[in-house]
Amino acid sequence: MPLLEVDDLQVFYGDFQALFGVGIKVAEGETVSIIGANGAGKSTFLRAITGINREKKGRIVFDGADITNERAHNIARRGISIVPEGRRLFPSLTVEENLLTGSATGRDGPWTVERVMELFPMLGDLRHQVATRISGGQQQMVAIGRALLANPRILLCDELSLGLAPKVINSIYAKFDEIRRGGVSILLVEQDVTRACSAADHIYCFLEGRISLEGAAKDFSVEEISRAYFGT
Amino acid sequence: MDLLQSVINGVLLGTLYGLFGLGLAFGFGIMRIVNVAQGEFIVLSAYIGLVLGPFIPIYPLLLIVPVAVISFGYGYGLQGLMLNRVVGKDPMPPLLITFGLSIVLRNLMVEVWSADYRSINIGTLKFQGFGLLGLRIGVLPLVIMGIVLLLFVALHLLMTRTRFGRLARATADDYETIQFFGVDYRQVYCIAMGISAALAAAAGMLIAMRSTFNPFSGVDRLLISFEVVVIGGLGSLWGMVLGGIILGVTQLVSLQYDPNAGLMYAHIVFFIILMVLPSGLSSWRRR
Repeated sequence: MPLLEVDDLQVFYGDFQALFGVGIKVAEGETVSIIGANGAGKSTFLRAITGINREKKGRIVFDGADITNERAHNIARRGISIVPEGRRLFPSLTVEENLLTGSATGRDGPWTVERVMELFPMLGDLRHQVATRISGGQQQMVAIGRALLANPRILLCDELSLGLAPKVINSIYAKFDEIRRGGVSILLVEQDVTRACSAADHIYCFLEGRISLEGAAKDFSVEEISRAYFGT
Repeated sequence: MDLLQSVINGVLLGTLYGLFGLGLAFGFGIMRIVNVAQGEFIVLSAYIGLVLGPFIPIYPLLLIVPVAVISFGYGYGLQGLMLNRVVGKDPMPPLLITFGLSIVLRNLMVEVWSADYRSINIGTLKFQGFGLLGLRIGVLPLVIMGIVLLLFVALHLLMTRTRFGRLARATADDYETIQFFGVDYRQVYCIAMGISAALAAAAGMLIAMRSTFNPFSGVDRLLISFEVVVIGGLGSLWGMVLGGIILGVTQLVSLQYDPNAGLMYAHIVFFIILMVLPSGLSSWRRR
């Protein structure tokens, strides 16, 4: 049984329909990437899974339980954690306080503030800094650390590389192996196709609210992915 | 000498005015809700104190605790049952609800307790005082100031050193994102409104020991609450204490020269400060 299974999901923003019946599966321990152009519906998809967006039809099943209509904070407590698009750190809190908010889910697990500091040593000096006064890359580390402190079973990552320098993105993606070793499954939304394909076991390509391609990353050629991405 | 006496008394009174603003600012800071019924919460708590008094034979100052607990309860309930449904980007619906609530509460209080002036009997403490350097300092005002400062410190510690404080600040920053980490923002709001009402209750009980009140006193209390928050600057606890002191000193000093003016000069000073420093005292310090 997959850890997360989404079936025929339709998502709406009022009268506007953003997703037209998409479905994915994430097995325990797997890393799955979702690629697609701006506006394809990738972030909407993640927001629907986390329960923030409640206007939906279809089924979302997590660890055997139907969470389609559950409230966001309850879904978080089940073990779904997100690194939101644009980081969304809390500006009034320090780095350490931001990390600690992650643990509000009350879940047991291997992740502690100290372990996050080992994962991202650069954060050690920044503990008491106000979270918005650090660089974009450092903020991304804090956002990931915060999500990990929730001790999730699956980590959703929404556009990690947005607005960051390639070197910084590389150093962040390099930590994924260690994150995976803790037993966390990963669902990754990425605009950078190369990175998405190299990080994942399985990819799904979204195009205008539908799935245009799915399968093992290595099975597709650049042309096939291009076509699915741009819809040509 | 009389002037200095007025200033001292103004400082003692002014810290209590600071507490008036604290409950209002707390609600606004966490939820962006302007509680127009703040004045009525302050007055209602004094009536609750009067009702409980005969049944709980403890020292009147300690009566603040059960009254504050009851107030926390109705603040929590108000938020949970009504205000949580309308909280959001538009500040008008919560404003209208609390405005309506203030009218309902005011008239309910008149119905139940009539418009007679009352006060809370604190016994001989009201008249005790001691001499210091030729000035007379009242024991009750001094004790009240002590309680107020204690509450300010307690709130500061709550917000900066506790888990709840951290989550409340995070919720105030971004109520959507905090849900991603298992926190029900609506419950944080309920607790915040409960705390706001409890602070108003403490303020109401304390002022009722110093002076008289009736159901219509809420209007004056609300005005002071607003002015203290505006003078102090939003987000500054100590700015509020300072703002309260400015109002208190102005009020009592002006009484020396114009005994019938009431709070007029304090309101004028507030207006001047608003024109010169629209973002409050704390913004001047930040510049």
